[in-house]
Amino acid sequence: MSWTDIGPLEDIPLRGARRIKTRAGCVAVFRTGEAEVFATSNTCAHLGGPLNEGIVHGRQVTCPLHNWVYDLETGEARGEDARIATYPVRVENGRVLIDAQALIAADAA
Amino acid sequence: METAFDTPLPIERSARTFIEVAEIWVPENGRLVMSSGAYGTLDGFADVSSAESFAKGEGLPGRAWAEARPVVLTQFDGTGFKRTEAAREAGLTSAVAVPLFAGATLKAVLVVLCADSDGRTGAIEVWAETDGILCLDNGYYGAAVQFGEVSRRTSFARGQGLPGGVWSSRTPMLLRDLGSGHGFVRGESAGAAGLTTGLGLPVPVPGGKNYVLTLLSAPGTPLARRFEIWDARAARVGHERAAKLVDGICDREGPLWDPENAGRERRVNAWQGTVGQVLGTGLPVVESGTDAAGYASMVALPIHRGGELAHIVAWYF
Amino acid sequence: MQKLVIIGAGMATGRMLEHLFEAAPDAYEVTVFNAEPRGNYNRIMLSPVLSGEKSYEEIVTHDDAWYADNRVTCRFGEPVVGIDRAARMVRTETDEVAYDKLVLGTGSAPFIIPVPGRDLPGVVAYRDLDDTNAMISASEAAGARAVVIGGGLLGLEAAAGLRLRGMEVTVIHLAGHLMERQLDPAAGYLLQKDLESRGITMLTGASTKAILGHDRAEAVLLEDGTTIGADLVVMAVGIRPETRLATDTGLEVARGVEVDARMRTSDPAIHAVGECVEFDGQLFGLVAPLYDQAKVLADTLMEREGDGFAARQLSTKLKVTGCDLFSAGDFADGPGREDIVFRDPARGIYKRLVIEDDRLVGAVMYGDTADGNWFFGLIKDGTDISQMRETLIFGPAYQGGSAADPLAAVAALPPEAEVCGCNGVCKGQIVEAIADGAGDLGQIKAKTKASASCGSCTGLVEQILACELGDDFQMPSSQPVCGCTDLTHEDVRRLIKARELKSQPAVWQELGWTTPNGCHVCRPAVNFYLLADWPLDYDDDPQSRFVNERNHANIQKDGTYSVMPRMWGGLTNAEELRAIADAAEKYGGELKVTGGQRIDILGVKKEDLPDIWADLNAVGMVSGHAYTKGLRTVKSCVGTDWCRFGTQDSTGLAVKLEKRLWGSWTPHKVKLGVSGCPRNCAEATCKDVGVICVDSGYQIGVGGAAGMDLKEIQRLHEAKTEEETVEWIVAFVQLYRENAKYLDRPYKWIAKVGLDWVIETLSVDAGRAGLVERFDLSQSVYQKDPWAERATPETKRHYEPLADLTLEAAE
Repeated sequence: MSWTDIGPLEDIPLRGARRIKTRAGCVAVFRTGEAEVFATSNTCAHLGGPLNEGIVHGRQVTCPLHNWVYDLETGEARGEDARIATYPVRVENGRVLIDAQALIAADAA
Repeated sequence: METAFDTPLPIERSARTFIEVAEIWVPENGRLVMSSGAYGTLDGFADVSSAESFAKGEGLPGRAWAEARPVVLTQFDGTGFKRTEAAREAGLTSAVAVPLFAGATLKAVLVVLCADSDGRTGAIEVWAETDGILCLDNGYYGAAVQFGEVSRRTSFARGQGLPGGVWSSRTPMLLRDLGSGHGFVRGESAGAAGLTTGLGLPVPVPGGKNYVLTLLSAPGTPLARRFEIWDARAARVGHERAAKLVDGICDREGPLWDPENAGRERRVNAWQGTVGQVLGTGLPVVESGTDAAGYASMVALPIHRGGELAHIVAWYF
Repeated sequence: MQKLVIIGAGMATGRMLEHLFEAAPDAYEVTVFNAEPRGNYNRIMLSPVLSGEKSYEEIVTHDDAWYADNRVTCRFGEPVVGIDRAARMVRTETDEVAYDKLVLGTGSAPFIIPVPGRDLPGVVAYRDLDDTNAMISASEAAGARAVVIGGGLLGLEAAAGLRLRGMEVTVIHLAGHLMERQLDPAAGYLLQKDLESRGITMLTGASTKAILGHDRAEAVLLEDGTTIGADLVVMAVGIRPETRLATDTGLEVARGVEVDARMRTSDPAIHAVGECVEFDGQLFGLVAPLYDQAKVLADTLMEREGDGFAARQLSTKLKVTGCDLFSAGDFADGPGREDIVFRDPARGIYKRLVIEDDRLVGAVMYGDTADGNWFFGLIKDGTDISQMRETLIFGPAYQGGSAADPLAAVAALPPEAEVCGCNGVCKGQIVEAIADGAGDLGQIKAKTKASASCGSCTGLVEQILACELGDDFQMPSSQPVCGCTDLTHEDVRRLIKARELKSQPAVWQELGWTTPNGCHVCRPAVNFYLLADWPLDYDDDPQSRFVNERNHANIQKDGTYSVMPRMWGGLTNAEELRAIADAAEKYGGELKVTGGQRIDILGVKKEDLPDIWADLNAVGMVSGHAYTKGLRTVKSCVGTDWCRFGTQDSTGLAVKLEKRLWGSWTPHKVKLGVSGCPRNCAEATCKDVGVICVDSGYQIGVGGAAGMDLKEIQRLHEAKTEEETVEWIVAFVQLYRENAKYLDRPYKWIAKVGLDWVIETLSVDAGRAGLVERFDLSQSVYQKDPWAERATPETKRHYEPLADLTLEAAE
């Protein structure tokens, strides 16, 4: 793993998300609890809606375009046969770290 | 009651206690009858009392029932107190009656009586809420006359002081150093009167009025030598009928609480000992002799909340 | 005999000595230094000492006799100032003492936030008995005020204790809810409510800027400019290991003094234990692991083999009498975790379990902590709970108990709660009517008038019937808001008002939501209901809004946005048009004239939004709110100014209405039209509110629509003057805001409550005035240009990606 600092936790609103640009495309980083974050592809498997703009509830996000609901832990779309990529991410000393290697792997894939 | 002196008593054996008599009256066929009592050496008063009973509104216990509130009598003449003659012969001069309700049902009335106040310091107070403030309804102070005067002029907001704390937490509380702090003239005055320990308990009554009973004790003439607060709520002990000793202090055993705050409090189940009996029946108990944990007498009161037996307070003297 | 020197007489070193003396009383000649002028006491019980619920004597763990019996040389009140490792000596101001083995038990130091005024007298940390006594002394002055900075465990215990001591107490907490490390918002809400009921003021989401005062602390200044008077300021924001001695003498120190599993530091003659140590990257603040360390250290000092120290799961309980709070384990992030939430609004109970891989990893309980130790045991033991997953939350005593009662929220209503807002009927009156024999909705209506007018409380009345009559009442099925609750929109609205719920966690808890924090269906609705009912108390939550309302622009299917500035009543001028043209060029936008007489700039990138807004703001244009459930446009014709048929100044009235109504949030979008004559050039008759000017005045119609349903407006009122017209329309919009279901356009809402009820309600002069007053109060908060507020560098940052990793070198 190669943890890369992407910014302070407080820059992601609670029950909100921010997007980061990577070579594997845009990745959404969700903050589901005070110190709980998840990262997935930012692109809805349906029609490509930006998931960082969705409503975050529990450990799920609802796509802002047509209300597809994704489980942030698995990337699975609820009730659909579709899945988006998830990436390891964690919080340390108030900073959000993402596994850059996983992103590179995704880029290569 | 010679037996009381045969038990391994104790510390300051000569010290006089603040309360002379404690008795429990329970409703039976529409009248209050004696259930248990501790009379010390006052056999005459005990005899008169055991033959007595009260209709709703009659005498002191009947009044506490009818008015659904604690009643303090600092004298007996003209108050409707029924046992005035016997009380006078026994040297008793004041009394407090506390109705114990579970929802709208009267479970019992506790009556305590005190003797002539000369030199005996302590306080039994009833606080009542009016417009969001607790004010003294009435109190008996023995020799702590000055403190009584100060208390009459004191009021408490939610969360403040022993009465305000009990009121807002709906939980009995036991304070240790009434003489220091507490941001009130009353604290200073309590220190001057030698009052150190205070037990406060909510007195739930039908109709939603808020009453708090406080018992303040001085080391020289202690109101009690051991205090216990038991938590019996299902939310704290689970569904089996049991209670946990959440706070307490004893002249002999010292602190009675869990020092590590880790849920390892002493526990009794229903019907186990005196507190267990209160737990099982939901009724208060006054005991003398062997059941009083080595003290002469003890009182254990159930406190109900929303129809459930929530707490038990006990004091030993 | 070997010389053992201990620095710090705390709970960890005290427990270590107990183990040592029990097993090997003659192994060492022991000297204990302590900066505090006293021996070991039970520090975790300082809060009850502060509140007066314990005495200092009760919490003394080791008294003088104990130290004497164990032949300990006590050097209390003598701080050690240095360690000479080469000479194996510790140094105080006046003396030097040799050691063979040294134990560091220096504990922790309070974290003092670096704000101006932190050194003023009257500012105290909350760490030891001296701090406690200082706080008790401060409480002795009548009417003294305390501010506690930090709403964690320690801060809240301090606040409760100071309140019991009679002070006026305010807690300032940075996070959005109390004890955010242990609790989630709903449990934090219950705790806050409980503490507020003790007269303590709670300010969450509040940041301290400075402590003010000349010779001593007098007030605390917050970042938002609020000042809070304070005679005492308690800093309870956290602790950090006290490592100065260790650092000075060159031991390995990270955040704490680094130790191995045998509590050895980097110097074989020196050991460390307690809050000052760091083991495996972790720090320790609770007593259980400290006692584990003490045991290990005693073994190490006796050169005994034994299990090394291992960090374990922890539980905490808040020591505030009457607040039942238990939290154990871990709620932090991790894939594959699942929540089980149980709420009992009637009894104020909240429980949450966190499960990972069929094992319980975290538990929070508020109001009912009976099963706390049982859950804690499951967490510690890593028990496989797959067999009892379904019923786990009901605890070990589960005997086929039932799930949360869907009627609990209604059962919890107090008798004085107003159920029918139209006719002022309280729950108590309905219960009484049921007791008197009313057995169905019709009889309740007849006896009490409840639900006899607009009918939006029908669901609640039925639920009260079900609560009172049990199986004797057949509940009609109704459509709940979403899967998070059994309540309908109408029920939720009524209950928010009746129970004065003023935050989302309050709604989730008191109305028994089955999810931790709602879903995309209920969150925007509840957010709207709260801001419409409590404009001053509730802060709008952007995370509960759909993307357009959060970003203040309309997202397009390609992820770009459209930007539409307001043109009051459809009026514009050359300067505005030039600015729009410039902006379109600069940000690559396309232009479209809309049906609402506006110009839309399409195709703007998200990161450009703050810039384009700033450009439009520069010529005085504000957001057109084309993206909101709120006032959209007021269309007008040219009216008497230009038109030969015009009967009134329709353009002027349209501008007046738009200036009054813009910025207000409504259940769904609201469009208006004002036509200057019955020829209706502004197409006012298919708007939510339409005005047709006639010679004698203004005909106001409502409930038009031109979408999927085509509806013509219905007559609400005929006004004589412009003022009267505006007053009626404002009152109508407010009535709609206060009563309609989220996402019901006015025509749908009117169909439910009936136009007669709307007219009747608005015809009462006092009622209409009240509605206008409440609308204006709400506008005092919400009538602000969201673009101007966001066209700042700070906000702009949030419209850009959090990070750009495309430039990172591949590894």
